[in-house]
Amino acid sequence: MKKQKEQKFFLSDFILIPICVIFLYPFYYLVINTFKPMQEMSFNPVAFPTQLFLENYKDIFAQGQIYRAFGNTLIITVCSVLLIVLIGEMAAYPIVFNANKLNNAFMVYLMVGFLVPFQAILLSLFEVMQALHLIDTIHGMILFYCNGSALTVFLAVGYMRTIPRELTEAAIVDGCSVGRVFFSIVFPLMKPITATSIIFNTMWIWNDFIAPNIFLNTRMKGTIVLEVFRAKGQFSVDWPRFMTLSVISIFPIVVFYLFMQKHIIKGLTAGAVKG
Amino acid sequence: MKKKRKLVKQIQYEIFFLPALIAFTTFTIIPLIKTIMYSVTDFNGISHEYRFVGLKNFIGVFQDEVMRQALFNTLFYTFCTMLLINCLSIPLAIFLDKKTKLKSAERAVFFFPSIVSALLLGYIWGYILSPLPTGAANSLLGVFGLSPIGWTSTSWGARLCIIAVAVWTSTGWHATVYLAYLQAISTEYYEAASIDGASKWKQFTQITIPLLAPGFTVNTLLLLTNGLKVYDLPYALTKGGPGFSNYTVTQVIIQRGISEKQYGASTALATIFIILVMIISCVQFMTMRKREEDIS
Repeated sequence: MKKQKEQKFFLSDFILIPICVIFLYPFYYLVINTFKPMQEMSFNPVAFPTQLFLENYKDIFAQGQIYRAFGNTLIITVCSVLLIVLIGEMAAYPIVFNANKLNNAFMVYLMVGFLVPFQAILLSLFEVMQALHLIDTIHGMILFYCNGSALTVFLAVGYMRTIPRELTEAAIVDGCSVGRVFFSIVFPLMKPITATSIIFNTMWIWNDFIAPNIFLNTRMKGTIVLEVFRAKGQFSVDWPRFMTLSVISIFPIVVFYLFMQKHIIKGLTAGAVKG
Repeated sequence: MKKKRKLVKQIQYEIFFLPALIAFTTFTIIPLIKTIMYSVTDFNGISHEYRFVGLKNFIGVFQDEVMRQALFNTLFYTFCTMLLINCLSIPLAIFLDKKTKLKSAERAVFFFPSIVSALLLGYIWGYILSPLPTGAANSLLGVFGLSPIGWTSTSWGARLCIIAVAVWTSTGWHATVYLAYLQAISTEYYEAASIDGASKWKQFTQITIPLLAPGFTVNTLLLLTNGLKVYDLPYALTKGGPGFSNYTVTQVIIQRGISEKQYGASTALATIFIILVMIISCVQFMTMRKREEDIS
């Protein structure tokens, strides 16, 4: 059989490239206007900037708030995601390796909770958080997000079933405790699920708006999305300033995307296909 | 002695479940029970005395103009986005299904809006679709000598803009899911078909489309549940306006519940909402189960 020469362009590219250009237009619009003073933008919002105007960026970075918001978001996202992965995979462990009626009941219990959209229970959730003194605290947000571990439990249960029993049983015969079997044998084998779970939850928590908006009141404790939300009210006339903040706010997640692109698409689809 | 060791082992196993159990009970199950309880009583958030009022709050939901509107908007949004995104993402996935550098760049472009917060995307589009002549879309129209359009200034205009922007944000994500299913189709099927003399079109309708069916189920059910939960995007784009004409269910639950402390009304709407989402999720779960059984 003759080996076909690798084709680089397809007919579909002629259709897709113009669509891509139109598709990216809002981001072009966002970025170019950060380099314009207010007057220039209102005079001509869609044109390329006439000069490289960096005052908007200087202004935003001169305020301490942006660093604080990034710091808060980073702490909340990293801690929540790590806890979600740990709690979720831990919960899957007895379900798979010590299957009994009690654990099946736990699984159903998780399932019920998993199906409840959290925005529906916000009012009573707020009361519970208030009773536990978790409103307007960073650790309260982190504990709240732990609730999101259900998806990880389901993904982990599916994957853990593929781990050969002989592996863990041999370790137990050798005198390994139940806890050590998990941490030194099972957990390291769960890498694909850990990666999927990290990606899913990072993108959710980093970009979440509802929960921080309701549970974090003081600006000092706000996340980056909340900062964008507040800026919308504050700079309601100064569009370039607002857009500059927006560009800065999406920068970290864009970097995350560029580095993890392959894993993100694989992980998201794996999660969607299974969950 | 042996029995005792077995019990100790059992307990050690169960400890692993404990953190998830505590988090879940505290932040989901207890609030859920309270929500359902409030929805059938006249609790007002202050007094400790409250009575069972049956379905009064639920009837109130359908008598309340804002809530009715919000239910309509959410269902309309869910239906339209489900339909449009499916229609656009299947051809998009097929167009993107080649392993060239250009294609992977195009994939990245279409996926890009999925990584940015929906709130921010709503704001950007809010500026673009500003009804003022200086808005980006209107000044572009001005270049062609056309007069400015109101875009989001009417209730139907806003509704359609919200759906259009939602299609723009999510089509790439759902196309990626279809792409995963497309790439899982073995090339052997196509080779066998072309040996048997099947045309390209025949291969497409007889092989590709049937094998995409599971992807269609996944995407549709995800679009339905996510559609019902929508909040950030419409809120950022029009704040639910003009007036309350584009409120979503989540927005009403937050406004009535958190801001105005109307316990009965907001929890009754929330309970209806939970039941809707649960029905769809159960269908999703059952179809997955069935498919897994079919495969094995």
